[in-house]
Amino acid sequence: MISFSPFMFSFLQAIILASAIMAILMVGTGQIRSNIMFYSLQTLCLALSACFCAAIEHELKHYIVALAIFFVKTIGLSTFLFWITKRIGAAKDLGLYLPLPIAMHLSVVLLVFAQILSNQLPHLNHLQPLAIGGTAGISLILTGILFMLTRRLAISQVLGFLTMENGIFLFALTQSSGMPLFIEMGIFLDVFVAVMISGLIIFKIKHSFEHIDVTLLTSLRD
Amino acid sequence: MNIAVYTLSALLVPFLLIGFVQKAKAQLQNRVGASVLQPFFNIFKLFGKNQIISEDSSGLFRAGILVNFCCFAYLIWSVPWLSFSPAISSVDIFLFVYLLATARFFSILSALDTGSPFGAFAGSREATLSFLVEPAMILSLVAPSILTGSSSLERIFSFTHQVSSQNPIVWIFAGISLFLVALTDLSRMPVDDPTTHLELTMVHEAMTIEASGRNLALSEIGYAFKLAMFFGLSVQCLLHGIAFCLPSDQWILLAMSIAGIFSLGLLLALLETVLVKLKWTKCPDFIAYSLTMGLFACIAALGVRA
Repeated sequence: MISFSPFMFSFLQAIILASAIMAILMVGTGQIRSNIMFYSLQTLCLALSACFCAAIEHELKHYIVALAIFFVKTIGLSTFLFWITKRIGAAKDLGLYLPLPIAMHLSVVLLVFAQILSNQLPHLNHLQPLAIGGTAGISLILTGILFMLTRRLAISQVLGFLTMENGIFLFALTQSSGMPLFIEMGIFLDVFVAVMISGLIIFKIKHSFEHIDVTLLTSLRD
Repeated sequence: MNIAVYTLSALLVPFLLIGFVQKAKAQLQNRVGASVLQPFFNIFKLFGKNQIISEDSSGLFRAGILVNFCCFAYLIWSVPWLSFSPAISSVDIFLFVYLLATARFFSILSALDTGSPFGAFAGSREATLSFLVEPAMILSLVAPSILTGSSSLERIFSFTHQVSSQNPIVWIFAGISLFLVALTDLSRMPVDDPTTHLELTMVHEAMTIEASGRNLALSEIGYAFKLAMFFGLSVQCLLHGIAFCLPSDQWILLAMSIAGIFSLGLLLALLETVLVKLKWTKCPDFIAYSLTMGLFACIAALGVRA
């Protein structure tokens, strides 16, 4: 039985915020490799915060979820995305609509918006210090959307989608006491398969169009 | 006491820091490198040398270098870059930022005055970098100022706050932001390569390219003061971030500040070994990160106050 001091709670808050901040820093660079690196760090923070929540609430399932996040997302998906990037030869994403630094500053504004939004929500959890998880979760979802909107390459769309999925997970983890283990595992399987399939589709797009620029895929061709 | 501490550290720490960074960089690149005391020898040598001033330059050239030096000499005695309260205590954050801007303005003027093409383009680059980096600098100083409810640098960085202003998140983000600002503002590695003297990479060196002898020595001393001051402020921010577990004895804090400055120097040497210089058009992307860190610090500070 671990007793939690206020210091440990503020450490947990810092880790939860760090995952949102990693996502925001991810928006700022066009290098696909650093994007994937930031995604990996973000899921590492997520796994750590799931671990802490497990220790606070004495629930075994959170430990399993944390392990699954670490192995599937932090290591598995990042390695897979690195491999795809190398195979396709995509090095950087030039961005769309907005310059990348402006998009990053916009996502900081979205973080403030998420804070205002989560203050309006009723606290479902009895643990008051975890309320910051709502802010971080909403911010991750909004940042993921912004990332998908301002990027050109198909692989960036996958990264934005994964960031949004992290946001939903973090929100569920901190605002309620998490989803049941079966649903959690089902989501993991879905995400894993979705990324694999989108990897295959990216290969296919690259093969038939010789690029993976999604803006050029809107017009129909024979 | 404060005056003695600041005088002694201002005479030793900046030059030792530059020597230390050069030595560490050399060791990391498998070279022997010059002694840590080399900057002292360089300055003494420059003071003994003859100076050559271009015949086309006016008195503005020398005046610009003097004003630049005077601004930094004033700031190094009045900014709390060590854990002691400064010797001259009347500087607030905006005076700090605008004295830096004044110094920069006069160094750009003296670079333009000689009419050499190098000086002109380096001045233009310095102006571009400085106005890109200024918002980040102001935000990273405003965040602790919101937290402590005062705009005087001495009050912000004194170690006698109540518990409410000991928020680690604000201080650490402000510290990181100031460090990134320092990298840009001092034209260190990701923005500019201080060791090469190609026309493509020079920012700071090209501004002082026409200076020689005593003039060069003065601008080198100014640069050393600026380096120590920025690193010192950033270390103070980081120390405030972990203030809840620090001892309250001021001599231990002083030792920790100086050790912190040198460890940032080691980090700088490490960064300059592994990083490559960014393309000039990519520099705003790098500076955007320091602005983002400053924004985080400000938002967190506003959240704590609210």
